[in-house]
Amino acid sequence: MNPMIRKELRQRMRERRGWLLPSLYLVVLGAVVTFAYFVTTADRGRSNIQGSTVGVALFLTLAYSQLALLLLLVPIFSAGSITIEKEQRTLAGLLTSLLTSAQIWWGKFVSSLLFVLLLLVTSLPVLSMAFAFGGIGPWEIFSATVTTVLILGCMSAIGLYCSSAFQRSVHATAVSYATVIAITVVTTIVFFVRISIYESAHHLTTRGWYDIPLNIRAPMYVNPFFFLTASFAPPKQLYPAWITCAGVFIALGALAVALTLRNLRRRGDL
Amino acid sequence: MIDVEQIRKSFNGTRALDGFTLHVGAGELFGLVGPNGAGKTTLMKTLSTLLPIDSGTAQIGGLSVTAQAREVKRLIGYLPDQPGVYQDMSVREFLEFFADAFQLTGPRNRAAVERALERSGLAERSRDAVEQLSFGMKQRLVLAKTLLHDPKVLLLDEPATGLDPIARIELRAQLKELQAEGITILISSHILSDLEDICTQIALIGEGRNARDTEGHSVIQLRAPQARVRIYEIELLGDSVPAVNILKSVAGARLLESGVGRLLVEITGADEQVVALLRALVLGGADVLRFEHRALDLEARYRLAFQGRRP
Repeated sequence: MNPMIRKELRQRMRERRGWLLPSLYLVVLGAVVTFAYFVTTADRGRSNIQGSTVGVALFLTLAYSQLALLLLLVPIFSAGSITIEKEQRTLAGLLTSLLTSAQIWWGKFVSSLLFVLLLLVTSLPVLSMAFAFGGIGPWEIFSATVTTVLILGCMSAIGLYCSSAFQRSVHATAVSYATVIAITVVTTIVFFVRISIYESAHHLTTRGWYDIPLNIRAPMYVNPFFFLTASFAPPKQLYPAWITCAGVFIALGALAVALTLRNLRRRGDL
Repeated sequence: MIDVEQIRKSFNGTRALDGFTLHVGAGELFGLVGPNGAGKTTLMKTLSTLLPIDSGTAQIGGLSVTAQAREVKRLIGYLPDQPGVYQDMSVREFLEFFADAFQLTGPRNRAAVERALERSGLAERSRDAVEQLSFGMKQRLVLAKTLLHDPKVLLLDEPATGLDPIARIELRAQLKELQAEGITILISSHILSDLEDICTQIALIGEGRNARDTEGHSVIQLRAPQARVRIYEIELLGDSVPAVNILKSVAGARLLESGVGRLLVEITGADEQVVALLRALVLGGADVLRFEHRALDLEARYRLAFQGRRP
């Protein structure tokens, strides 16, 4: 086993946040699901409500709110991961040992991603509430989970890049959060502004996703929530939206990995 | 064992190393001194494979520190100027992690950790968290970690900084032991008395280049004094200005320092040159009270080499 992974996991699980964050995460997620349940059932008559409707509503609420929460947590685990080694002046010791830059990166990546995945797994009991109502199949669970893991992996890689590029954890975390905001909020705003300009210029209302010109749709392919939405399509309809998003996120993650390794190999100013 | 030839390294246009050359033989305990910003830490980082070099060559044990970095890492133990520790680990966990990082497995791993605990004197505190150790103990722990994989060369950048006198004495004793074991040690320090006590030779570095002392040496041989250039301290009765004027006419004599009734003079050449200087002073009318050969200590030679160069 990579010594970095063992070291990182040991250190992470000793921190107070090792147990505090999963607890808080479950409390928040439980509250969101409970709220969603009452909102879904309150508007409808007692007799008309379908179990599957509630199940789908709970599942979607859970999937999106889980992604939002995890996107907020990823920078905490990844962006400080290498800067902490610089701050406590231990990076030189790692780089002059026989650990390769790739091993150091992999140890940091696995430990930060595993902790986020731990949160994902702990939410399974909450997710099972949606199952109880029906309307959700294994495919939806599978594709949503794979998509969420892909997004979190990419964001962890970006967080690690920030961590390798900055000297202080606070700066790396701030830039990491700025990236999360840019790909979620900014892309959405850009998309809606451009679509409204396009519609008013052409005096039309776009009905389907593919009626929108590609240059207007493009920013949404780096939007994690759009990527998650694309994952709810049936298997045969994953192309092109989901596949394109997956390609974009994998490419972004790969670029972040390459830049992080380059930074680790070049850093002598430790 | 360590061969550095015309090494250059710049940071954003600023030359940190500017053609520095150094040769350290196997088994030597070699010192490196120079003012702040002279390039000592940059040199240590390039030798420890942390920094690439712009030009020149740097080899350890015949291996290039740039092209054969991984092989060099097996040979060296590097102690940075401000070494860090994982405060939340126990002493044993810390050593075990770095033993793993140096690919020591199974019995070799355990043996290396036990030896490091014994060497650092921390065996009884192996279960304690690193954060509970004193600064001196942490420094011992980091040095023990640096020795886990039995390196042939130790690169120590200011290892005594912040240590109390007892810890410094212990460090000096440990370095002498390591040298006796055949380990080549390159150590940089501002504590000249420590270097003088343990080093066989000391290289001078200033502004990224080989600096020279008043005798023209870039490497000071502490255990084998140079014979041809000598320093004399002359005490005079009254004004020293006439004596300074006489000095200028004596071949091989060079004024290093002058004060009220005191001169420090460098004489290059044979004993006859010394006699000629004394004769010239007396015949010239200088009232010489004392004319004494002075073996300069490292601190004096450092001061003479670097005075006026402080950044």
